[in-house]
Amino acid sequence: MTRYPLIRTAVATVAAAGLLSLSACGLGGAGPRAGEARKTGRVAGEITFRTLQLKPVYTAYVQGVIDSFERAYPEAEVKWEDVPGDGYNEKLVADAQAGALPDVVNLSTDSFQLLADRGMLADVASLDAAAAKEYVPGAWEQFKLPGKGEGVYAYPWYVTPEILTYNQDLFTRSGLDPARPPTTVEQFFDYAEQIAARSGGRYAAFMADPKGRLPGDWQKMGVPLLNKAGDRFTFDTDKAVAWADRMKDLYAKGAMPKESLLKADDINQLYGSGRLVFGPGSPGFVKDIKANAPQVYAQTRVAGAVTGTLGHIGIYAQSLGIRKDTAHPDAAAEFAKWVTNGPNQVEFSRRATIYPSNAQGLADPRFADRGDGKDAETLARAIGAEQLRTAALDANTPVQWTSQVGDAVAREMQKAIKGEEDARTAVRRAEEEANRLLAAAGRR
Amino acid sequence: MTAPEGGGGLPHRRWWSPYLFLAPGLAAVLLFSLWPFVNTVVLSLTDARVLEGGSFVGLANYRRALADPDFWLAAANSVLYLLVVVPCLVVLPLGLAVLVRREVPGIGLFRSAFYTPVIASAVVVGLVWQWLLRSDGAVNAVLVRLRLVTEPVPFLTDSTLLLVSAMIVTVWKGLGYYMVFYLAALGNVPGALYEAAALDGAGPVRRFTSITVPSVKPMMLLVGTLSAISALRVFTEIYVLGGESGGPGGGARTLPFLIRQVGLGFAGETGYASALSLLLFLLTLAFSLLGRRLTKGDEA
Repeated sequence: MTRYPLIRTAVATVAAAGLLSLSACGLGGAGPRAGEARKTGRVAGEITFRTLQLKPVYTAYVQGVIDSFERAYPEAEVKWEDVPGDGYNEKLVADAQAGALPDVVNLSTDSFQLLADRGMLADVASLDAAAAKEYVPGAWEQFKLPGKGEGVYAYPWYVTPEILTYNQDLFTRSGLDPARPPTTVEQFFDYAEQIAARSGGRYAAFMADPKGRLPGDWQKMGVPLLNKAGDRFTFDTDKAVAWADRMKDLYAKGAMPKESLLKADDINQLYGSGRLVFGPGSPGFVKDIKANAPQVYAQTRVAGAVTGTLGHIGIYAQSLGIRKDTAHPDAAAEFAKWVTNGPNQVEFSRRATIYPSNAQGLADPRFADRGDGKDAETLARAIGAEQLRTAALDANTPVQWTSQVGDAVAREMQKAIKGEEDARTAVRRAEEEANRLLAAAGRR
Repeated sequence: MTAPEGGGGLPHRRWWSPYLFLAPGLAAVLLFSLWPFVNTVVLSLTDARVLEGGSFVGLANYRRALADPDFWLAAANSVLYLLVVVPCLVVLPLGLAVLVRREVPGIGLFRSAFYTPVIASAVVVGLVWQWLLRSDGAVNAVLVRLRLVTEPVPFLTDSTLLLVSAMIVTVWKGLGYYMVFYLAALGNVPGALYEAAALDGAGPVRRFTSITVPSVKPMMLLVGTLSAISALRVFTEIYVLGGESGGPGGGARTLPFLIRQVGLGFAGETGYASALSLLLFLLTLAFSLLGRRLTKGDEA
């Protein structure tokens, strides 16, 4: 029987291959530390510019901005590369490790934190002291590093504010007044309870999604997330426990779709098919609904986000960071400022549902126009812009609340909401685990 | 069959020629399999994080894993997954192969139909099953309509049921794949054996147990090993069905799921995730050796 040894070899080979690919999950070591770039006063040289998923929809816009820059500074040349959203951060980490970051790079809140924390980005406040006044204060402040002086490590680019969207037909059917949207988390929950009581299971109020709701809901309820020094979580409070208890009660009453406890990604579908009262809180979504579900769009109302005791929303700007050891700091800084200047950001906002972080851009009449006060998309733009003017960083998710912390807290809250664990225990355990993660991350 | 002495054959002076031929393949294996493996071992002994090399901490990561309830939960889920899925994937595809082996008109259609889930992407399969199993999905609608249950069954929002649902998806997706293995093995069984057995008065059941099963036994062991390895690596089914937390409270997380959760993202603990990867490696190695031991015993 010659087949036996053959099959044995096959078994061994397959096992070995499987095992090796299993274990090949490691990551490399530390990246190199960068040396500081100095300005020379001459805007020249070839710089690389990396954006996050702007091709092919915004190719013409971005290329137009680059072309105009190159016309204004003939000695400078910009090489543009666009990277898809999937794996953007992973590529950034790999490039940082290899010392191959682009000169000007589009960063999100978390990737900014990672690179800036490790000293890989240039201090743009010292490169260009006059830049500060050009941006909305909240956006400029966002790119300072807490506890590390007045340095600012990226130019603010576009922002997307939080708003409240809801289906006014379902609001009315639930006996609620569409002209009086909720403004606090507690009121939001009261409305949800009334919706659940009247819907007869045909529609739900909102998505449970604890990872998405926290820590925002707690901040809006006045729960202190961290101690003053920012090195310990302190959210184990009566208010946080009350939040978990209320969520459990509402979940049992059917105020949230059952599966929304685990997944939040079908919110557009649920809202678009008229089975959800509160939609996602982003202006871009209003545009999507207009295109995909015109009937529901006609019923969509927009209001300021629920801000509770804070009274304002947070600010999450995309930014353009400058590689610290760039060979052409003048060209890089000048180009980043060019991309984020008022006219260029306003033009971008005409093509995409984004808002300028640039003070002059946000003052454009386009953002004050409420139209006839009925069209949701126009209203969303005006309300979003209005909220941005008072947006402040204390409403942002603190940097200590990493994705790992969010996951750990969400797991405990899921147990509490399902009633598998009592709310007080769940909040206590969540805080313990969050503090363990924070302590581990701080050990550098 | 050696070359004639004194001429004609290629002289074997260049001892390194075979290695030259091996080099490209060897380089790929060293670079993409062996080096990452060694790197993982090294990282598992450090407190490395994403973008930080970390320092040597000895076996601290392993001690932490052994004291980590999340690790034990994930390991238990992974082993349970293997214990349920492997027997199903060894036995069911064989039955299917025997059924579709008959040459009846239109059998090609059935063979293709059973193979379709294999080529469908795991994410698509997961989404289809998610729609079937949701509390307002098709399965629950039927169960409620038939009055078999009063409340929708929480297939996706209960950790145990979520794990079972994921197992069903894995088995359903694997059926066609392993069926093809068995079809190949069955093709090698001499028809004369069946004829002789039939002449001796053996019925279909006896022919199956006395001829088919012993003939495909080596293949069953291969299928067992393959499906065991893939069962220990299961991630997508649970991710798509149970969201990024891995079921409510993370109760349906398997080891690969935990490794991803620990190691990914900017706050990822690379060192600890590497240690977990190696523990999973040991677990897989143990089950693979078990498979080999079984093959060996069969051969003796």
